[in-house]
Amino acid sequence: MIRIDSLTKIYDTGSIQVEALKKINLEIGKGEFVAIMGPSGSGKSTLMNVLGCLDRPSGGLYRLDGEKIEELNDVQLAAIRNKKIGFVFQSFNLLPRMSALKNVELPMMYAGISPKIRTERAEAALERVGLGDRMHHRSNELSGGQRQRVAIARSLVNDPAIILADEPTGNLDTKSGNEIMGIFQQLNEEGSTVILVTHEAEIAAYAKRIVAFRDGEIVEDRLVEERIVIVSES
Amino acid sequence: MNFIESVKVAINAIWVNKMRSLLTMLGIIIGISSVIAVVAIGQGSQSAIGKEFEQFGVNRAFMSTNWQETPTDRDYFTHGDVDAIKEAFSDRLAAISPSLQDSGKIVSKKELQNISLNGVNEIYNKIETIEMMDGRFLMEGDMKAKREVVVIDEKTALEVFGRTNVLGERILVQMRYRNLSLVIVGLYKTPKVPFSNVANFEQPSNIYIPLTTMEKILGIGDRVYGIELNLEKDTNVQDTLKEIVKLVERRHGNVGKNKYRTYTAEGELEMVNKITGIMTGVIGAIAAISLFVGGIGVMNIMLVSVTERTREIGIRKAIGARHKDILMQFLVEAVIISVIGGIIGTVLGIGFSLLISMFIKIPPGVSISTIMIAWLFSAGVGIFFGIYPANKAAKLDPIEALRYE
Ligand SMILES: Nc1ncnc2c1ncn2[C@@H]1O[C@H](COP(=O)(O)OP(=O)(O)OP(=O)(O)O)[C@@H](O)[C@H]1O
Ligand SMILES: [Mg+2]
Repeated sequence: MIRIDSLTKIYDTGSIQVEALKKINLEIGKGEFVAIMGPSGSGKSTLMNVLGCLDRPSGGLYRLDGEKIEELNDVQLAAIRNKKIGFVFQSFNLLPRMSALKNVELPMMYAGISPKIRTERAEAALERVGLGDRMHHRSNELSGGQRQRVAIARSLVNDPAIILADEPTGNLDTKSGNEIMGIFQQLNEEGSTVILVTHEAEIAAYAKRIVAFRDGEIVEDRLVEERIVIVSES
Repeated sequence: MNFIESVKVAINAIWVNKMRSLLTMLGIIIGISSVIAVVAIGQGSQSAIGKEFEQFGVNRAFMSTNWQETPTDRDYFTHGDVDAIKEAFSDRLAAISPSLQDSGKIVSKKELQNISLNGVNEIYNKIETIEMMDGRFLMEGDMKAKREVVVIDEKTALEVFGRTNVLGERILVQMRYRNLSLVIVGLYKTPKVPFSNVANFEQPSNIYIPLTTMEKILGIGDRVYGIELNLEKDTNVQDTLKEIVKLVERRHGNVGKNKYRTYTAEGELEMVNKITGIMTGVIGAIAAISLFVGGIGVMNIMLVSVTERTREIGIRKAIGARHKDILMQFLVEAVIISVIGGIIGTVLGIGFSLLISMFIKIPPGVSISTIMIAWLFSAGVGIFFGIYPANKAAKLDPIEALRYE
């Protein structure tokens, strides 16, 4: 599903060059559930941005679902972001004055899907994250946990190859955070590939595999032994 | 994202920021409404003046001596000239009349009324359109007998008598050297003169008396001050006048001395059109500048809007919006704001021109083409001034846009 070879990312701020990723090699298969951990500034977000095609690597290779990402132009990258990647952010990043439903429809709008099908699929996605009764609320009328559910619904609505989540529970209390992790776990059970960044070991314990970073390098890559498993409600 | 989708998104964004959108439109509204009003009034006056000249008679002309060339006794027109012209150009002349004008005051109940006293012959009503309401115009008999009769207009009748059934009544006219008592034999409809209310000049009414009577009163011999002409339809007015002048010059032995001047309705109309055209152009240019300023306002607000919505742009890009989707979104927004501004401006502009026309008594000339041009123009302003902010939005880097607070 994902393969990166000696991937580097250098931020050139003029006076100093920050090597945020140092020749990373990583392979993530279909249906995996990976937690990326590491101290602040270790390059986790940088990796997520590159994986999510929001940013271009400075060097190395990146294969996503068979595509040679480093060779694509901006328009093609936009299409990849739209169809193959579902991004979930720490700060939710919903459009505030739009309803939850409209927010979830947005990626399908850019995919050119007809309004009718869009609404149907957005409704289904919101049902999946347990927000069937909040569809027409504006996103700024929702709680943090609810907003993150909308964001998850939005990320999965175009049926992406991977779901990337950069500290999705970072702005949430423990309870909402656990609920959100339950949703990721459920999506993973249903076949989605999920990669998430977290500081917290308890959150990482929901995943199946942990990749640890330090100073732009992978220092550990192991399976989760004592996994928290939430019994899916559906 | 297709075009209709972009329009929906744009309308939504405009609606969400109602107040700001309205303020942005203001520049366009003012620009377009002033353009529309100016053009409407300009075209309205042109067609009003055109109509007036038509009423005046398109094939009408007037000849006089050229005072700049200090004419002497031997240069003045005579009745012989008039007869000669009549004979030589009988095929092209509809009517010809010597004319003699003087100003006077009619003694009325309240005050003295300024009038213009016109000595003309009995066919003068074939030269100028004189719409009789009562009685008759001057007749051959009036000329021959030098009767002291007069044809007055409705307005004068109302001012002097307060009524219009005035046939047979006498009016007293004060002139420089003597007073006249004239019997009213005819009443004609006062022609409408546009601008008369604005310019604040009350044009004195024309009243008509037999030329012979006038000559007797003023003690004029065989001298004609001016010649009024009406040419047959489809004659070349300018060429014919040149020929007539040549004939008169030959009779007076002053060929090529430029002793005579001719005035044609056609020529005057051209000049008036030129003047109103220039005025419309100048005011229109000022209006266009205000439209340009309005366009800059649109650009300004769009730039603010782009900055303010940086994060939104980042989000949209992160979930798959392409460069052209963002470009489209902001461009369409700018165009819609401009076009809505254009539509409101058009309505207001028509309103203004109607308001102005109430004062100057000229129906505004608003044509569909003016409106279409105004709308296309405002759309153009939207595109022109929207493209830069839209492009700025579309070029934003998604990560930086997402990080923007
Ligand atoms: N746009 C940028 N310009 C310059 N340097 C950057 C930029 N973004 C990140 N960096 C640097 O790259 C390194 C890795 O940053 P990154 O955001 O990936 O860390 P992180 O692991 O996500 O940290 P955190 O846990 O605090 O989110 C840091 O040293 C950071 O200062
Ligand atoms: Mg980070």
